[in-house]
Amino acid sequence: MRQTNSAPLWKRDGVRSVLASLLSILIGLVGGSLIILIVALTSKNLNLHSAWEAIRLVFLGLFSTGRDAAGGLTFGFNPTSVGNMLFRATPLILTGLSVAVAFKTGLFNIGAPGQYLAGTAATLFVALEIPTTVVPAWIVWILAFLAGMLAGAVWGSIPGMLKALLNINEVIACIMTNWIAANLVTWVFDISNLKNVVENTKSGYIYKTSFNGVQTPKLGLDKLFEGSQVNGGILVAILLAVVVYIILTRTTFGYELKACGANRHAARYAGIRDKRSIVLSMAIAGSLSGAAASLYYLSGNTEFFWSTYQSLPATGFNGIAVALLAVNNPIAVVFAGIFMSMLDIVGLQMTNLTAYNEYITDVIIAVIVYLAAFSLVIKSWLAGGHRAKPAHPAGGGADAPDPNAIPTDAPGEVPAAPGEAPAEGKEAREK
Amino acid sequence: MDDAPEYIIEMLHITKEFPGIRANDDITLQLRRGEIHALLGENGAGKSTLMSVLFGMYQPEEGIIKKDGQVVDIRDPNDATALHIGMVHQHFKLVEVFTVLDNIILGAEDTKLGFLSKKEARRKVQEISERYGLRVDLDAKVEDITVGMQQRVEILKMLYRDNEILIFDEPTAVLTPQEIEELILIIRNLAKEGKSILFISHKLNEIMEVSDRVTVLRKGRCVGTIETAKTTKEELSRMMVGRPVQLVVDKGPAHPGEAVLTVEGLTVPSRLHKNDAVKDVSFQVRAGEIVCIAGIDGNGQTECVYAITGLEKASRGKVTLCGRDITDAPIRTRSKDGMSHIPEDRHKHGLILDYTLEENLVLQRYYEPQFQDHGFIRFDAVREYADSLIQQYDIRSGQGPVTRVRSMSGGNQQKAIVAREIDRDLPLIVAVQPTRGLDVGAIEYIHKQLVAQRDAGKAVLLVSLELDEVMNLSDRILVMYEGEIVGEFRGGEVTVEELGLYMAGARRAQKEGKRA
Repeated sequence: MRQTNSAPLWKRDGVRSVLASLLSILIGLVGGSLIILIVALTSKNLNLHSAWEAIRLVFLGLFSTGRDAAGGLTFGFNPTSVGNMLFRATPLILTGLSVAVAFKTGLFNIGAPGQYLAGTAATLFVALEIPTTVVPAWIVWILAFLAGMLAGAVWGSIPGMLKALLNINEVIACIMTNWIAANLVTWVFDISNLKNVVENTKSGYIYKTSFNGVQTPKLGLDKLFEGSQVNGGILVAILLAVVVYIILTRTTFGYELKACGANRHAARYAGIRDKRSIVLSMAIAGSLSGAAASLYYLSGNTEFFWSTYQSLPATGFNGIAVALLAVNNPIAVVFAGIFMSMLDIVGLQMTNLTAYNEYITDVIIAVIVYLAAFSLVIKSWLAGGHRAKPAHPAGGGADAPDPNAIPTDAPGEVPAAPGEAPAEGKEAREK
Repeated sequence: MDDAPEYIIEMLHITKEFPGIRANDDITLQLRRGEIHALLGENGAGKSTLMSVLFGMYQPEEGIIKKDGQVVDIRDPNDATALHIGMVHQHFKLVEVFTVLDNIILGAEDTKLGFLSKKEARRKVQEISERYGLRVDLDAKVEDITVGMQQRVEILKMLYRDNEILIFDEPTAVLTPQEIEELILIIRNLAKEGKSILFISHKLNEIMEVSDRVTVLRKGRCVGTIETAKTTKEELSRMMVGRPVQLVVDKGPAHPGEAVLTVEGLTVPSRLHKNDAVKDVSFQVRAGEIVCIAGIDGNGQTECVYAITGLEKASRGKVTLCGRDITDAPIRTRSKDGMSHIPEDRHKHGLILDYTLEENLVLQRYYEPQFQDHGFIRFDAVREYADSLIQQYDIRSGQGPVTRVRSMSGGNQQKAIVAREIDRDLPLIVAVQPTRGLDVGAIEYIHKQLVAQRDAGKAVLLVSLELDEVMNLSDRILVMYEGEIVGEFRGGEVTVEELGLYMAGARRAQKEGKRA
């Protein structure tokens, strides 16, 4: 019964998480390439050469600089693409964080789209209704940003309260609040005076915040990434990710939130107010989704199309994909968000430069998300485990397998999560 | 059958490794036809691994299994079933809303043209149950029958499938003393009829009473196989733990002081049914004494403790801790006011399994100034504290303070909880089944700790289903039956049998410890 003595578990575990995510990405990209190949082979109008170009764009689209005189693809540093990637990543990082925070505390925040909409409405109203002739624009910006976060927090705390007080599943409550938000926000804008009537070729659009002179400062990023829409928002997003990381890993507050997520009963036993923790973690998640909307619309060059309440903002749902790919690590969320928006750029380049279109990137994202959801399996596969077995029975001695797993009539009871140790079932049995 | 080999099952030189651990190391277990063979060992000794190998859940790295002298290859549980090996799990695998008969035939039903035909099955089950004295009501729903009867249903399931080798995994854990007696009779009967029985347990009394031979495992190795008649409890426990063990903890007379916990007229509603789970219960726990609530599982002990510790609200009554009314106080307040709590269910309440050992060791005090600074956890202080507890209480784990608690053995998980709760040095310790599922070594350790706390002037409220524990530790015993206290005794003034009668509701007394 010798002790397990090797690298600290978290280290190897962390490395494996990263590898699992990278592997998902690679398989996704290869899968997308295969589809391009199939399309090329089955279409009369497309040839293998065009497929090869498209595949190169799948992997290197971010660095595409167009075509040269001879018609070949050219690659190099493309500041516009990189800048736009960061611009698009900003809200994705925040909705990803929103989902990740909730996950870490044991909740599935599928309400990010609704919280995003709530944030959108609050931000636009504050940014457009407070005249910058009276209040300095930078103060309006801050107020609008905070209003967005607050609205998201309120919207997120509704399912949180339903869960904490009435034990209503947060997934159902979130889906309901999503649609309530969609209709409510549409209605609020419908009766508002914020509809863009100046450019009367457009209908259904709300003014850009720049109409009121409120927009996120560029902080010189526009010089760095010329021709792109990037602004200081990306830095705010990264800052928030770091703050969330610190709260979750370094503070007693984060300790309480995670404790409630990992084992609500034990948290209660330890005197942690579990209901409060659930509401707070949903409020925090909501505020991050709200911040996503704020930063997106405060950029000054985006406008909200309000009459489409039939659909929910994709940014909210994509947050789930980002969080999955990042295995709910707040810092990894930054990279995952940037990667997802890179795929957007890839799609655009493909549409611009080849006969293939951007929908292929949706397929890639879908494959990656699928695989990310299987990351536990991939992780154990990377660890070389072939079947469920106890990971690290401790030095004090562990009756390795779960005796509950023996029954002849229930083969499904083989410990389900590879890499998880055996103790649970064994103890439950002792009741 | 005369020419059959002596052993019906032989597991020879079984070695099974897991990463970083050798769960079974060259273990040989030979089961004779018609004998009752006990398998004894601490938690983590490798009993379950060995049984999993026999059931085909694991393939051993080395060693062979023989049935009737023939080498067999058991690749999965279906192979084991085909070899007529059956098991009664400690937690029954029954469909609660099915009848007893349906449960017995489940998975082995006779059908006629695709329709169930139960007539033949009913006849066969009745025959078996008469032959072995297994009284059951075939048409009752499983959820309505007693635990003892449920266990008989499990046994019938095995017999219905013509199993010859019957494995009982800790079968007495859920039974009352009277039911245990009955089970032992049944097991003897089965052996007499030629069934071969493997009896897994870490309770020495039962093993001495029921088995013909005992195989003792320790730390994955086979210590030896001996005839039960030629050994003693002391020898067995020494073989199991590897050192002499004190089965009964030494303790002097109690010197009770002031009342620390006073419970008056406590009534707690039940979650499961309309009746109150705890009805008008009153008692006191004084400094320097161990008061034990004994009773069969499900007679209101759990709810009573929940109301005292704040996990559930009392509907009536009053709880006073060190002179303060805490009836409706939040859990954190009770904890700060002087209550530490070793909970009944260590996985549900006691630990956050996905947290590390050090994070779990500060679960009750992470918010104290010692461990935090303006809301930021002082990791160095946490580590230092965890290291000291780990050393002081000998908590063993793979990676020390950063081990995920989930990967620790049950005994060490429990040690971690005991260390955390005792180290807070509070006037009241509420310990609910503190040794549940632990082996004699760990039990001895925890009992010593509790007695030491009593001697240090703490009030200890112990809730236990184990009569041995009740008898060993208590200065006073309260017996709970159907939510009421039906008897109160001083430690040492009552026999196990008498206690059993009170626990089963066959007797009740006035309070004041009057003997019936």
